[in-house]
Amino acid sequence: MISEEKLHILTESAKYDVSCSSSGSKRRNEGGIGNGYVAGCCHSFTPDGRCISLLKILLSNDCIFRCKYCMSRADADVPRMTATPDEICELVIDFYKRNYIEGLFLSSAVVRSPDFAMEQLLLTVKKLRTEYRFQGYIHLKGIPYADEGLVREAASYADRMSYNIELPTETSLKLLAPQKSKESLLRPMRQLSREKLVFREEKRKGRFLPAGQTTQMIVGASPEPDGQILRLTQSLYRSLGLKRVYYSSYVPVVHDSLLPEKPAGELREHRLYQADWLLRFYGFTAEEIVGEDGNLSAEFDPKCAWALRNLQLFPVEVNTAPLETLLRVPGIGARSAYKIIEARKYRNLTFESLAKMRVVLKRARHFITASGKFCGAENEKIVRGLLTAGDAAPVQLSLFPDFETARSALTGEL
Amino acid sequence: MIYFYDGSKTAFLTAFVLAFRDGQAVLSSRGCQLSLAQETVFVTPEPERAKKAEQRLLKIDPDCMNDLSTLLRSGDQDRDMVALNYFKLLVKEGRPVRKMFAEECVTAAMECIRRVTFEIHRFHGFVRFMESASGALYAPISPDNDICDLLVPHFRARLPEYPFVIHDVGRKKAAVYDGSHVFLAPLERAEVLLSSDEKAWQALWKNYYDSVNIPSRERLRQMRGYMPVRYWKFMPERSRPTL
Repeated sequence: MISEEKLHILTESAKYDVSCSSSGSKRRNEGGIGNGYVAGCCHSFTPDGRCISLLKILLSNDCIFRCKYCMSRADADVPRMTATPDEICELVIDFYKRNYIEGLFLSSAVVRSPDFAMEQLLLTVKKLRTEYRFQGYIHLKGIPYADEGLVREAASYADRMSYNIELPTETSLKLLAPQKSKESLLRPMRQLSREKLVFREEKRKGRFLPAGQTTQMIVGASPEPDGQILRLTQSLYRSLGLKRVYYSSYVPVVHDSLLPEKPAGELREHRLYQADWLLRFYGFTAEEIVGEDGNLSAEFDPKCAWALRNLQLFPVEVNTAPLETLLRVPGIGARSAYKIIEARKYRNLTFESLAKMRVVLKRARHFITASGKFCGAENEKIVRGLLTAGDAAPVQLSLFPDFETARSALTGEL
Repeated sequence: MIYFYDGSKTAFLTAFVLAFRDGQAVLSSRGCQLSLAQETVFVTPEPERAKKAEQRLLKIDPDCMNDLSTLLRSGDQDRDMVALNYFKLLVKEGRPVRKMFAEECVTAAMECIRRVTFEIHRFHGFVRFMESASGALYAPISPDNDICDLLVPHFRARLPEYPFVIHDVGRKKAAVYDGSHVFLAPLERAEVLLSSDEKAWQALWKNYYDSVNIPSRERLRQMRGYMPVRYWKFMPERSRPTL
């Protein structure tokens, strides 16, 4: 059994990674313990409001790299610990069977060398799958510069793999994470997405990263505008088929002359997540979302800001507008759009029926008509006023509610 | 007229036949609405009558009995009326109504169903097993809705080699998987002899829970929203006096 102290230290250094999702894998139980849960499953919630789905832990926090923002960087004065593969495997099995966790999120510092660190990760997940016969969810962090063969083999045991891009441009990366290069992160990501494609096309047996790849970027530690970040995100979704891009707004904890003194703030991170949703589920492009100045509006959510720039397209009639148009109405989400599409097959919808269906009309009413009737404000100026009124305080984040989240910027992984 | 029934499917369908044409009908399976002003009928389940009603309803909507069985598992106070109104509309329309979201009674029924299925989903995460000396797993739960047997398929699929018991302590019954079969049994109290290292694993879990938290970012309201306090009782990480 792993010692209390070791568990504590290796968890402490892993906890700033934002991702904890366990969705996307249909892995079936074929004897042994565990299976995948496509929708993902939260097992507990910590007092910081975050969900515990996976056992998020480092194999080791003993790092040879010197990323400026990282707590586990080589020159930091922190206690160093390394777990054995068996310690991790036992922990996973005993936590899993008590239903504490949905699986493992394993990463590691670059201990000794990239290849050595990657080997240790591979050894652990291989053991967990074969000796311990674990078929629950495994998210594995990749080590930059590690041998291609090691990465490929590790991926064959994982449900999801991720490399953190960390910073949106090569220049910033060079400055803040001198031992990493954009290429060292993008190369293995491209390799994995290529191999997944081949795996699918050849209809090979078994699984290859069924839950795909994700990545994470620190926002606000370097000067890139939102537009640049979103275009990068868009290209990652399009060309590499990434499942998620996570953002963590920067908060200074480590002091360094190269790092900003001030935190980036929760609102920016929140807006980026809203924009990210529009890219993935609402049919928007990065070019449409970003304003003329290259940034997202602080005042309005990105969909609202887009609609205000394109008022000539509104109002739309809820009884006839196609799904993709409804999805572009501020305040109408995927769930409401679906309900409208279904309900209007049976009867003509009025504002009263929309209220009965519990469609939130606070913002939407300025952009729709129901059976020809319009209930919004008369002109743009009033709409703008009404939409910002009462929103003086930044909107509560649904996922990552404040800039402390940003401390994920200080992840010790990779 | 107030129609009392025992909460079973057969009794509901019998009561439905009786109450269908009664515009003032109040349907209830809970004793709290007794009123002297209205006449009261205690519905005796009639299997024949219920069967006929079921067949007629299934012709209108082949999936409607799933809706009914989910509604009858709900712990909501108003679930009997919600179910009655939903099935009345079904008969009136003569076609499936579950997507007629602009009808108040459909929205009410779908939300009631959603609360049951959502609680099942939540409990896929919130169930906490403890290991007994024999290796079998035991989890006490106290859900809002009557769902303990509906949790079994999920855990059986992922823990096929572990016998387990999920005990609804409030409803005094348990769903049991003995390693090959599943059954539901009344269970008042359970005495569980824990395995020798159960306490140590629970301690490690609490340690993990505390370590992964970011204390400077406290958001208790959000935590309680996602994981309501009424569920904490059987979760080792939350049932500590110090928290």
